[in-house]
Amino acid sequence: MLLELKNVQKRFGGVTALRDGNLSVAAGEVHLLLGENGAGKSTLMKIVAGIVGRDSGNMLWNGSEVFLNSPSEAGAIGIAMVNQESLLAPHLTVTENIFLGREKKRPLGWVNRRAAIDDARRIIDQYGFPLSPDMLVGHLSPAGRQLVEICRAIRHGSSLLIFDEPTSSLSDTETQQVFRIVRDLKSRGMGIIYITHRMDELRQIGDRVTVLRDGATVHSGNMADIATDQLIHHMVGREVDHIYEREHLPPGDTVLEIRSLSVESTHIRNISCSLRKGEIVGMAGLIGAGRTELCRAIFGVDTVTSGEILLNGQPVKIRSPRDAVRSGIALITEDRQVSGLALGLPIAANMTLANVERISRFGFLDLISQNRLCTELGKKMSLKAASVAQGAGTLSGGNQQKVVIAKWLFRQAQVFLFDEPTRGIDIGAKTEVFELMSELARQGAAILMVSSELTELQHVADRILVMRQGRISGELPRIDGQSPSQEQIMKLAVPDATPANEIAA
Amino acid sequence: MKLESRHIQKLLPFLSLIVLFIGLSIATPYFLTANNLASVARQTAVFNTMALGMTIVIITGGIDLSVGSILGLAGLIGAMALEAGYPVAVGVFVGIAVGMACGFLNGLLITRLRIPPFVVTLGALGIYRGVALILSNGLPVHRIPPAFAFVGEGSLLGIPFVLWLLVICAVLVHLVLEHTRLGRYAFAIGSNKIASVYAGIPVDFHTTAVYAIGGALTGLAGMIEASRLMTGQPTAGQGYELQAIAAVVIGGGSLNGGEGSVIGTLIGAFIMGLLSNGADLLNISNYWQQVIIGSVIILAVTLDEVRKRRAR
Repeated sequence: MLLELKNVQKRFGGVTALRDGNLSVAAGEVHLLLGENGAGKSTLMKIVAGIVGRDSGNMLWNGSEVFLNSPSEAGAIGIAMVNQESLLAPHLTVTENIFLGREKKRPLGWVNRRAAIDDARRIIDQYGFPLSPDMLVGHLSPAGRQLVEICRAIRHGSSLLIFDEPTSSLSDTETQQVFRIVRDLKSRGMGIIYITHRMDELRQIGDRVTVLRDGATVHSGNMADIATDQLIHHMVGREVDHIYEREHLPPGDTVLEIRSLSVESTHIRNISCSLRKGEIVGMAGLIGAGRTELCRAIFGVDTVTSGEILLNGQPVKIRSPRDAVRSGIALITEDRQVSGLALGLPIAANMTLANVERISRFGFLDLISQNRLCTELGKKMSLKAASVAQGAGTLSGGNQQKVVIAKWLFRQAQVFLFDEPTRGIDIGAKTEVFELMSELARQGAAILMVSSELTELQHVADRILVMRQGRISGELPRIDGQSPSQEQIMKLAVPDATPANEIAA
Repeated sequence: MKLESRHIQKLLPFLSLIVLFIGLSIATPYFLTANNLASVARQTAVFNTMALGMTIVIITGGIDLSVGSILGLAGLIGAMALEAGYPVAVGVFVGIAVGMACGFLNGLLITRLRIPPFVVTLGALGIYRGVALILSNGLPVHRIPPAFAFVGEGSLLGIPFVLWLLVICAVLVHLVLEHTRLGRYAFAIGSNKIASVYAGIPVDFHTTAVYAIGGALTGLAGMIEASRLMTGQPTAGQGYELQAIAAVVIGGGSLNGGEGSVIGTLIGAFIMGLLSNGADLLNISNYWQQVIIGSVIILAVTLDEVRKRRAR
């Protein structure tokens, strides 16, 4: 075995993050690490990567006991972590990012640019990455940045790589690209630990799997020997219908209608679609197809240059998010930490943010009714928090998402634009988010749900719009209760496929 | 138990203030006298009032480097109004209005030009000071009615008048921050500006309002300063912006926005006031005082950061 962890324990203050971590990784395998948020995956990986030390237990590297005190010690023996792309410096080049902190030096401390560029090119060529050493990282796609992260990790010939949710922000094509690289690294005899939340990825990439729950390893074995349902059962510790099924009811009147909308600052052109009362419309497409941009345009973030938006049949002018909010439109952005939540403020302040008017009179806040209303709302959404005075930043991803949704419930919005609502949240919380969305639809909200997870769209959406290169390339309804197939969706999503009008329903 | 220790840490500035107070009472017999305490109150009133305004600005994630110049300009124009024969109340009001106008202009530039507050107010620092010097030709305004001295030096019910003013301002600012929509929006904008825009909050309007309020409080501080000096000095308030910012920061305000409180700021300002008063009483040279106060700023923020990191 390349790496073996036995009975590893770790406490942070009074909290036990890991009580019985076991994991063994062989050279030349992709080892999946699964578990809900808070199960101890990150802690275990931080121990492997030398970011934190373990309290007790053993860590064997090629059969001999090691204790790593820093990431550079881990790097020195051949363990490297592929960080999520956000840890790159966008204003520096690919080469500079690859060697950041480990610059090639000449005597007197001058940076040896040429040697660095040569080394970077060598790594890039070795794996056939579509990168050039002097590209600015800020100009790369998310997948490109992921490749730079991989280059960083393998620059010193590592033998164990840890991938932490590498595909969470990638489209399906880009995901396949990352998979190819992972398989290539594997075939070169590297051991790979792969953390993911996307259930559809497991079989495509994993050889063996270890499941953590509540800080302990609860399952370890070959992927071939276990069904996905069983894996999920191990992860959540209870029976969960792993794919959410909702009741698809006939929709009501059209609430939001968009007529030939274009946004000059983006590639959004000539979009027409509508949302009806009580309906969840899915929106599929590759990364960069313009789905997020469309949401931003409807919500008044980007200026609409032509076209019309109608609410309940009446044309509305939306020049700013404020106009949108006042018209009853809500945007649940894909990155809740950046644009959804005021992390430093209490839950109550976040829930009421879009409708402070409701709890104030003549500019003065009624904090008592604020707390009462927010506590009720939290209870209704089964929010896990000590009280509504708790800081939003201390909540788990799923509970943060609930607070974001609660904000728009508090505003009593009628149109909800959900942009990747389940990104970065664990299975249990995903189901709860879907339940909330269904409940909203039942109460008459019109919902647009952008998602890159096709299975999610298939199960939750009443019909699916597909975007491609800034346009709507087709619409796929459910036929006889059957959702459209993934092939149908992908056909419309991939550029240069069949012309749109031949497939459009 | 974890919560308790966190609370104790949060109380640290307050405890330091108490310790400092007791320490100085023991170290020198001149400290704990009605006269000296009144003089501390008067000395710190100017910084305190400015710092209250700075607190709201910093909570929104902004900063106003021009408050020293605003103080000078407001005090000067207020004094000019008094010299022109207007009653004291009108003169003070003029000073507040000038401060408010300057703050409003800062807010307008920041929100319209979309330039960082640091840069706008750095420019404004020069502009307002220059305007004060142009208006006065660089000369102080002297002929002020003696009644004006009451603002900075008078007492009401045995307590310095400035202390009354300060308490009123502090209560008002506290109410604004914790119990009004404006205060809630200030915290929201400072904590996450994008989320605030997406929530439909009129961010520009409230940002401008916050700078205007900060300016008004600075204008009042300018009139207190003018009253204490009994002149309208075009050069008054130089470097005060740093004192005001320091008070906010010592009191737990974060320059990243979203954090700060009236009580914290007052404690911060009084810690600095006591340090400087104590150093005077103990015959520590002015030069050393600067070193001490500077160190206290860094120490206070370090401790606060440690506390926040642990809380995470």
